[in-house]
Amino acid sequence: MAHRYDTRTTIFSPEGRLYQVEYAMEAISHAGTCLGILSSEGVVLAAEKISTAKLLDMSSSAEKIFKLDEHVACSVAGITADANILVNYLRLTAQRHYLTYQEPIPLERLITLVCDVKQAYTQYGGMRPFGTSLIFMGWDRHFGFQLYRSDPSGNFGGWKATCTGSNSQSAESILKSEYKEECTLEEALLLAVKVLNKTMDSTKLTAERLEFATMTKDENGRPTYSVLTPERVGQLLKQGEEIRKQEEEEEKRKKEEQARQARERKKELQAKTGPSSASSS
Amino acid sequence: MDFLIALVGKDFVLTAADSASARSIMRMKSDMDKMIPLSSHALMLLAGPVGDCSNFGDYIQANLKLQALTNGFEASTHATANYVRKNIADALRSRGAYQVNSLIAGVDEQDGPSLYYLDYLGTMVKVPYGAHGYGSFFTFATLDHHYREGMSLEEATDVLKKCFLEIKTRFLMNLDSFKVRVVDADGIREVEVAQP
Amino acid sequence: MSIMEYNGSAVVAMTGKECVAIAADRRLGAQAQTVSTDFQKVFQMGPKLFVGLPGLGTDAITVSQRLKFRLNMYTLREERDIEPKTMINLVSSFLYERRFGPYFVEPVVAGLDSKNQPYVASTDLIGCPMETSDFVVGGTSSEQLYGMCESLYKPDMAPDDLFETISQALMNAVDRDCLAGWGAIVHIIEKDKITTRELKARMD
Repeated sequence: MAHRYDTRTTIFSPEGRLYQVEYAMEAISHAGTCLGILSSEGVVLAAEKISTAKLLDMSSSAEKIFKLDEHVACSVAGITADANILVNYLRLTAQRHYLTYQEPIPLERLITLVCDVKQAYTQYGGMRPFGTSLIFMGWDRHFGFQLYRSDPSGNFGGWKATCTGSNSQSAESILKSEYKEECTLEEALLLAVKVLNKTMDSTKLTAERLEFATMTKDENGRPTYSVLTPERVGQLLKQGEEIRKQEEEEEKRKKEEQARQARERKKELQAKTGPSSASSS
Repeated sequence: MDFLIALVGKDFVLTAADSASARSIMRMKSDMDKMIPLSSHALMLLAGPVGDCSNFGDYIQANLKLQALTNGFEASTHATANYVRKNIADALRSRGAYQVNSLIAGVDEQDGPSLYYLDYLGTMVKVPYGAHGYGSFFTFATLDHHYREGMSLEEATDVLKKCFLEIKTRFLMNLDSFKVRVVDADGIREVEVAQP
Repeated sequence: MSIMEYNGSAVVAMTGKECVAIAADRRLGAQAQTVSTDFQKVFQMGPKLFVGLPGLGTDAITVSQRLKFRLNMYTLREERDIEPKTMINLVSSFLYERRFGPYFVEPVVAGLDSKNQPYVASTDLIGCPMETSDFVVGGTSSEQLYGMCESLYKPDMAPDDLFETISQALMNAVDRDCLAGWGAIVHIIEKDKITTRELKARMD
């Protein structure tokens, strides 16, 4: 049935679905995981790089996280070529706003504008939707630190912690259970490591496969974007690994404790029932 | 012949504009309002041909209202002034200039009171006090001499009165009716200042 | 009266030994009337790069903002700071786009390149670039500035010496120009720091 309604983006299927848009979202769910976490001291973005071919010559430092202006950055999941178009549009839009108002663009305004473009590509004929989901982090004077996620349909929303890409559902459930409001930046970074540890397909995380960036405020109160060095990422991974081991040991100890307690209870029970049984005999 | 003046005080901006509307040598009316509010806490004073002033003022006011609606908050005085400047500067190099000289007074929660001087070319500068029109030649010296940073409303009003008196004494034309407004944290309000 | 003399301005840049300086007056006028004594004519375009824009006030603002736009796009795309040599070409091509309806400014570029070598250059209002090894000037006081610079400049000055020289050159030049002056600002760019000083000058 679908084939009759999925050739044009402008056409609804009888069930009221837009297949092309759904396919675009499907494309994203195979992309490397991207996640963002809001903390009291700033915002964290983390992304997984899919291809780390040995012969690949990386020209630019960043592959999945892009600085858009002094106060805003985004990570992309999906078709990189599509994302590059959007990133360029976002940078231009931010600069145009600055040119007119001599003030950094408010985050929500920037995201609304790029989502208008994304929406247009789901409605006007002859065009394919952007196969890209973006996670934005930034700071503005109106609402402080913020985190947003947008999808190919042009929908967007503000989040405390969010993710997109492969295994995003399981990542989201971990975030839901482990996210603490008003956490520190360090805690947010470690939570990101933990989530990636559990959702990435590869057995072991390596610094080469990950990109981390943060948006914080400097001593003058100005927002600063920084990309974590591979050394820092490696250090985080090590810390994450230690925490994981600790937790495992904790878990093991708990289990042992429980087993011990169970044994003791059994003993006690036996001791209690022992004499009585003896008396009864 | 229009005359605009404004000065920044401790937590307010005091503004005044003459209220004469003239065509050639004829005074058409004496109760013209040369100020237009751009937001709840920003006021623009306009001088120049009446058509340009009202058209440009309305255009800016409507656009800023639309932006406030889409953004969910009103623009800062700084952003407002720069938006106005860009419109004037862009018009200068395209359809033909808006011949408007203006003063933009505003009070922000974060930045406090501020005043921007703009001319019809799009020259903009943030000033403690400013004036436009022939009146400015007579009042800048008075302002230079009497203006102090962080004045109270009473002190500022006294300085303004001295400016009015100077114009009455030295200016050939009869500028005798002024509209005076204050922008502060509570918004924009008109105040009565006895004319000399 | 030329449109270049409507607001009044004076900007000068000078090279030293592993340092460079740029200075400007602060006046904004409307012909003979002084409107402000706090008008910005020198703009920072990088950690070790400044552009001065003497000429018509409105165009100084417009050009500074539009250059900043292009520069920001450049830095985001390239992920590095712009070289002064690249900057003068950016300025030049930007101005030439308006060849038959120009912006009335004569930009002055001063900075240290990535090897910390001093660089000064200027262009005319339609973007003809001129690199020099000693000093460049612009604005209504440019003739007086040339005279002062010719007599005071020595090659390879240390930062302190450079500050004194550029300040004296500017102050004494604007005192013979009724359209410029009313205070001045001087930036000294060294490889590890920038020193900005405001000069008290004749306020008449």
